[in-house]
Amino acid sequence: MTMAMGKLVKIAPWIAGGLAIALAGAAALPARPVGGFDLEAFGHLPVLEGGRVKPVDSVARNSLLMIRSKQSVRYDPDGEGPIAARSIGAGEWLLDVLFRPDLADKYPVFVIDDPEVLGLMGLEQSGRYFSFEAIAPHLGEVQRQAQAAHQIDAKQRTRFQSAIVNLFERAYLYYRLKNTLQLPGTPGLAFEIATAAAPGSSRRHAALAEAATFRPIPPPAGASPDAWKSSGEALAALAAGQQDATLEPWARLGLAYAARDPSSFNRAIADLRGLEAEVAPAAVRQGDHEIVFNRAQPFYMGMVVYVLALLAIFASWLWKPEILRPTAFGLLVAGAVIHTAGLASRVILQGRPPVTNLYSSAVFVGWGAVLLGLVIERIYRRGFGTAVAAAAGFTSLIVAHHLTGDGDTMEMMRAVLDSNFWLATHVITITIGYSGTFLAGGLAIAWTVRRHLAPRADPASGKALAGMAYGVICFALFFSFVGTVLGGIWADQSWGRFWGWDPKENGALLIVLWNAIILHARWGGYARERGIMAMAIFGNVITSLSWFGVNMLGVGLHSYGFMDKAFWALSGFILSQLALMVFTLLPPGFWRLGASAQARPGGAS
Amino acid sequence: VKTPARFLLWDALTSLKLTISCLAALMVLVVACTLAQVHLGTFGAVELYMRSWFVWWDIPGTVLSLPIFPGGALTGLVLAVNLIAAQARRLERSWRKAGIWIIHAGLILLVLGEFMTGMYQVDTQLIFREGQTTNFLQSPRELELAVIDTTGPAHDEVYGVPERLLAREGEVEIPGTPLRLRVRRFYQNSELFRLQPGQTAPATAGVGTGITVREAPPITTDDRMNIATAIVDPVAGGKSYGTWLVSNALDATQSFVHEGRTYQLVMRAKREYLPYALTLKDFKHDVYPGTEIPKNFSSLVHLSNPSTGEARDVLVYMNQPLRYDGKAFYQASFGEGDTLSVLQVVENPGWLLPYVSCVLVTLGLLVHFGIALRRGVRRQAEARARPARAAAAAGALEVQS
Repeated sequence: MTMAMGKLVKIAPWIAGGLAIALAGAAALPARPVGGFDLEAFGHLPVLEGGRVKPVDSVARNSLLMIRSKQSVRYDPDGEGPIAARSIGAGEWLLDVLFRPDLADKYPVFVIDDPEVLGLMGLEQSGRYFSFEAIAPHLGEVQRQAQAAHQIDAKQRTRFQSAIVNLFERAYLYYRLKNTLQLPGTPGLAFEIATAAAPGSSRRHAALAEAATFRPIPPPAGASPDAWKSSGEALAALAAGQQDATLEPWARLGLAYAARDPSSFNRAIADLRGLEAEVAPAAVRQGDHEIVFNRAQPFYMGMVVYVLALLAIFASWLWKPEILRPTAFGLLVAGAVIHTAGLASRVILQGRPPVTNLYSSAVFVGWGAVLLGLVIERIYRRGFGTAVAAAAGFTSLIVAHHLTGDGDTMEMMRAVLDSNFWLATHVITITIGYSGTFLAGGLAIAWTVRRHLAPRADPASGKALAGMAYGVICFALFFSFVGTVLGGIWADQSWGRFWGWDPKENGALLIVLWNAIILHARWGGYARERGIMAMAIFGNVITSLSWFGVNMLGVGLHSYGFMDKAFWALSGFILSQLALMVFTLLPPGFWRLGASAQARPGGAS
Repeated sequence: VKTPARFLLWDALTSLKLTISCLAALMVLVVACTLAQVHLGTFGAVELYMRSWFVWWDIPGTVLSLPIFPGGALTGLVLAVNLIAAQARRLERSWRKAGIWIIHAGLILLVLGEFMTGMYQVDTQLIFREGQTTNFLQSPRELELAVIDTTGPAHDEVYGVPERLLAREGEVEIPGTPLRLRVRRFYQNSELFRLQPGQTAPATAGVGTGITVREAPPITTDDRMNIATAIVDPVAGGKSYGTWLVSNALDATQSFVHEGRTYQLVMRAKREYLPYALTLKDFKHDVYPGTEIPKNFSSLVHLSNPSTGEARDVLVYMNQPLRYDGKAFYQASFGEGDTLSVLQVVENPGWLLPYVSCVLVTLGLLVHFGIALRRGVRRQAEARARPARAAAAAGALEVQS
């Protein structure tokens, strides 16, 4: 090894990690104005939606995510093909929905995959995305079908019924968004203000208040911080002689946007922000923080960095391991930093411990596995820790990404879960237990893959992996046991029984029992290295069932996150784990034996 | 050498294989119990798999049933015995194994706690409207036939006949009264129908004269109650007061007079009277602004106990039960436009055991894995130091040569 090479080995992880973090940081920079309209400033405006105050940017992103499963729209008005299409961000889309609904109705925002739903509306199955204009003529039928399907319990619905209910809910959300600030087909909010006290206007105020998705008018200083008003409520208050200062600039903002007047638009936003900073300074501060979080998408960036780390470690097994292995480690650390920053932001924004719903549990499970993997890599320094940690981090963030479809990932906590103490203790420990069990399973998979694919037999590596998995199983047993018991204590505090054999409790108990079985089988000598590894992989099956399967069962006090599509994903995962277990139990190189037997006649000729 | 049978038994009882088998059996039971909850409800599934000695299989077409799997109670018992026996026989009494000792002691307590819960825990409910004062708890599942002497202006005399006695369909003496109830028929669960022309009613007195009964299979799910119906003849002083139909599906008051005293017959949830009373002053159901997501449920309750002179207000809300008189009162449900509150009342003399147990096991696991981790890290460091030392030695050799 030369001097220069030695230096490169030292600095490679720092360069790789530093670059990854810089890349993630760049994503958090403010957006440029579009056509002179300061969309960035618009995104900062605080509103109340879903029970909490958030920047309007979050409303835009979450709504578009719910309707289109993406945070932006591609719009191609003249049909010139995908290259001519313009990408419209969530903020601009929301402005169009609010103030230029005729244009917004043309954006292809409704993703419809179900062929029967498309058939019902007589639409061609050529694309996935449809505009509101395209589905509007069929909404009556959609509503009729959805109401019929609604009578059926969510678990019993057919694919068509679920899809039609889902489409109706999205169309309804879109309709409510359009009617949040002003009713389409009326002259707009400014006209409503001018005629607030006129006879007949109260009916429109009631319609606005009824439809509103978010409440843009902050409570006056000194009032209850929850008393935000919808535009309809503010208009009704105005008619009663009680004026909200922020109503008028919202009206100006809308007029200027519809009239394509950027300077008036920007001035209206500046006025609004000035007024809001006076009456709701905390909401403004919180909004500024949340918008950085929205833009940075730390969990998405973390996912990308974990993939890079994984690629680097794969490459290191083929080429220049002395440089690539530390590089991969550097990338893993960078991923962990980004992941941690994201988690910390969520905790600060929500004012709650990191795990509050299924989505955040996926984020946290990955985080725990990555940190554990980092520790293992520091102890063993063989690259396996890096590989498994990067894979675990990537997988869990992918899973989390697919759990965001319900909209706001920082929704409010239902009454019984509303306890920071228990969320911080029980939920965190049990989730760390999941992380540990998955990591042990991941190490066992690494053990299996290495045994079958490594060019030469290397019992020392296998033994090291088995040792790591053993250590992690001990760790997982500890956390899942403590977590389960803490859950029991929480249940004793809130429902009066320590243990109720509720499905989620049973799931946690299964993890504890399985880890205990693995450890006792090892201590008793009933299972050797290979058997323990197969059992560790089965731990993945049990943990995934306990984590997601229980929610699909739909009984018990814990069933907070039922998902129908996830059923197939879960089944696929379990099958893959069972297949891997078969490989674990097969002797190394068994397929090479077959291959060489076939190759022999060819070689002889 | 022939091993005496008792040694074989001792070997089996202390073996690690038995431990693993029990843990595996427990996993099977837990999975079965979880899946069964979809159809049986939590209570039914737990009774079937967890609180039983055996899981029984009814042979189709016969009245026979076979035990096909050990139940939760048996598995738990064997596991506990195995733990204690193995601990006594195999484990060395050394500091190195201190963690294991503590863990196993804690686990034994945990199993014991679950047994205590299964045997002694009593679940009842306290249901009241705003402004109402209540001094009794009622069972969420069990019913009773109450004979109430409503003659006294100040208070009623109540005697409850439990379902168990009614099911015998014999004669029941009502203590403190001259009455006897002759139970003609008892349905644990039933359906009631309006009497059609051409049918005869089982009852000859009260509202039951217009009703027929049909037997129904007992309900096992958690969310519904049985509709129990009894056909009874109240007899006093050698005189029968007719045949009455009493059911918890009936709202109407049914009473008769014997020697100037009025007696009511009511089928209702089994009650337990308290020596103190609770008044619901206010029930609150808060939601997050602009949503229907519940934020909090709370009952402001006034507790008054004449025997101790206590009179105070208590707020019962999510995760904050009232613990009083060996019972815990939890906010469980609500109804009637947020004016009715349901408190779950639990009495479990063993409620502290799991707490002690979990502290023990946690400590034990920490001690044990701490010792193991230290050993592992030391070994790893030695393994890494070995090649380095070898290289250093080789270098020293080169310098010397």
